[in-house]
Amino acid sequence: MRVFIHGGIPGITPYASGSHIWGKQDGLMVEVSGQTVDAMTQSVRKAIEGKGKCHLVGHDLGGLLAFNLAIEAPQLVAAVTAVASVAAAPTGDGVPDITLAHPPKPLWSRESQRWALERVSYSHHHIDDAVLDGCVKAAARQATLDPDEFVPSLMKAKSRLYEVCRTDGIKAPCQVIWGSHDPLGTFDHGLWLFRGLAQKQRVSQFHVINRAGALPFREEPEAFHHLVTAFSEGSS
Amino acid sequence: MLPEGCWIDVDGIRTRYFEAGTGEPVVFIYGGNFGTGDSASSAYTWSEQLAPLGAYFRAIAFDKAGQGETDNPRNDDYTMAAVVRHAAGFLRAMKLPPVHLVGHSRGGYAAARLALEYHDLVKSLTVVNSGTLSPGVGTNEVVLAKPPFAAGTRECVRWVYENYSFDPKVVTEEWIDAVMHTLSLPKYQESVRKMGAGKLGARLFLPELAREKRETLQWINEGRLQRPVQVVWGFDDRTAVIDRGIELFNLFARHERRALFHVINQSGHFPFREHPQRFNALLRRWVESLA
Repeated sequence: MRVFIHGGIPGITPYASGSHIWGKQDGLMVEVSGQTVDAMTQSVRKAIEGKGKCHLVGHDLGGLLAFNLAIEAPQLVAAVTAVASVAAAPTGDGVPDITLAHPPKPLWSRESQRWALERVSYSHHHIDDAVLDGCVKAAARQATLDPDEFVPSLMKAKSRLYEVCRTDGIKAPCQVIWGSHDPLGTFDHGLWLFRGLAQKQRVSQFHVINRAGALPFREEPEAFHHLVTAFSEGSS
Repeated sequence: MLPEGCWIDVDGIRTRYFEAGTGEPVVFIYGGNFGTGDSASSAYTWSEQLAPLGAYFRAIAFDKAGQGETDNPRNDDYTMAAVVRHAAGFLRAMKLPPVHLVGHSRGGYAAARLALEYHDLVKSLTVVNSGTLSPGVGTNEVVLAKPPFAAGTRECVRWVYENYSFDPKVVTEEWIDAVMHTLSLPKYQESVRKMGAGKLGARLFLPELAREKRETLQWINEGRLQRPVQVVWGFDDRTAVIDRGIELFNLFARHERRALFHVINQSGHFPFREHPQRFNALLRRWVESLA
């Protein structure tokens, strides 16, 4: 079974993510909850337990949750696809990304979230009523995270991911999918995430979808679908 | 294994090809060039693709002019331009509708050049680990300099292909048999003599290729390809390192929305032989998405 894990940090990312962000996909959509990366990982684990080995497809933070689960419960994970997963990619000593700085107020209003989605996209054409309705609903129910609790948990999870990549390796086939015009993470961020995974996992791949930003599955759904399907077929 | 081979006349050049399946035509162009004494490519290079992809498409691999069992170029025209003209002639002689062209290494260059010169023959382009096409410094001559075995021997052939690969075990006796067969053909030995002792390699083939490569990259840079394109790269190729694949993808991607880049781990120069299942799955979905 294919399981889609959304990204976004409630109360911080200026658009509210959730299962609606995926649009139409064939598989189980998980709603992530929790205040820390570990708690979020447990919410995904709870959703997939008893469903056999799953191909986890995670967007941004969802990609990191998928890797986390592949590390702690490999018996549940058939494969991991990390999409535009800036959360899982090396942070490095970069400069602050200002793509989403100064969102228009009121925050998490329909127009403010439209602004945020446009800012992270190559083209605005995928931003339709369905995704905006989903964002507004998700924003209404989101519980704002405490950065003092969340950020250290994020850094800890990343550090553990890179340690496992260097030592035992992720025990499931992994692929990284990146949008060529992702304003939140460069081509190099995606490639370095792949380089890490490739150290010990033989079945690992890296793909770039042209003219797509941080939501390549929305901007180029056909290309995204073909990569996810081909990966399942090719690593079976 | 390849299916039974067939022959066709292409503008006076007797041409060997293999095909499997029906439907959308997918045509493979392998790498290398005529007249090399320590290795020799042929349609066998695609032996892991024809039957599996023939289950979905009409998969075709042919021997380029002067390579495999196909006749040598006419009038001693040992140039890449002649190879490209022959490849285009083959597509026409086969009366194929626009094809999905898949080119590897030097074949990646030939496929791209064919697509640039004969747009109506091509529906999409896939370039695999092509140092010949990509900008930058080629490292073949560094990695494969002076094999420690005599040219034309099994040991030499094995050494060359093992050094191309991530996992030397991918170089099977069957693969070496196919190379040795090509090397044994009198017409191939003639091309070795002409390219080597006859100096056609240094005086004609390489300078002409260099001149045309400049032109080809200029054309790509100008956006003349006008077809969906994907670049597939074996991550561990030491003869065409991944940076060259990235640069090539970026050239294509400036002008073509439908451009994808794929990297396959634990693979050297031949990702379609080291990871055939993964390569075939990517190619199958690519062709289906454009059908």
